[in-house]
Amino acid sequence: MAGFLDNFRWPECECIDWGERRNAVASIVAGVLFFTGWWIMIDAAVAYPTQEQMNHAFHTCGVFSTIAFFMINAVSNGQVRGTRTEKAAWAGQVRARLWLFIGFMMMFGSLIGSIWILFGGYVVPSEFLPSVCPCWSNITLIYKFGRTEDLWG
Amino acid sequence: MAGIKALVGLSFSGAIGLTFLLLGCAIETYGVYWPMFVLIFYVLSPIPTFISRRLSDDSESSNACRELAYFLTTGIVVSSFGLPIVLARTNTIKWGACGLVMTGNAVIFLTILGFFIVFGGGDDWSWEQW
Repeated sequence: MAGFLDNFRWPECECIDWGERRNAVASIVAGVLFFTGWWIMIDAAVAYPTQEQMNHAFHTCGVFSTIAFFMINAVSNGQVRGTRTEKAAWAGQVRARLWLFIGFMMMFGSLIGSIWILFGGYVVPSEFLPSVCPCWSNITLIYKFGRTEDLWG
Repeated sequence: MAGIKALVGLSFSGAIGLTFLLLGCAIETYGVYWPMFVLIFYVLSPIPTFISRRLSDDSESSNACRELAYFLTTGIVVSSFGLPIVLARTNTIKWGACGLVMTGNAVIFLTILGFFIVFGGGDDWSWEQW
């Protein structure tokens, strides 16, 4: 019973031959998601301009996600795994891991904050759109990071 | 050079794209010229690719600079579609104008892509080609 899923394999997806274009496609998809998220935020800010309709503090989720995005993408995988050979790279590896840790914390924190805004502010009352926007831009920013990780693959 | 026919064809499609954009502004029932701001995005869109091609020589291997250029270019293209939508949602422009502008966007970006495919494939990306 313990190993009954061992022989289960996902059906092979041979429809798309990624090859060398994988990184380019990943960066394009990431760009679409990232900027669509930001434009949804801009649209919400324009459609609901006053503080009562949409609290201006909601923008901080998007801003922190963007900062975290740039932080995470600034560090390459090699630095974190320590594949560089110089001795001084030890300290560089620790610093790189700390940088990534802080970046991920900001990313997840803003994602949680945006989901909180979505449910706390808007699922109970009736206004829907302003809540979607910070949440969407955060989800897309997380997905985007997951894809751009392919860039180092 | 890939030929005069390609050049003429691409410039024709560029003119058609700009015509759509102008129609979106100038038709009497629309009348406002806010959509002209997407011209900024048209001008900005080839720049990241130019810069990355200039800075790096290897065209085959995975290149972080080129992928950053693709990311930024995609962002500029998305922004040029997002701006008319946001303008239409706030009733600054009408939805018909928005549709015309987005059609013009699509044609112009296909033209720019066509330029890169037809004229940009050479290994020697130097300024002498101009």
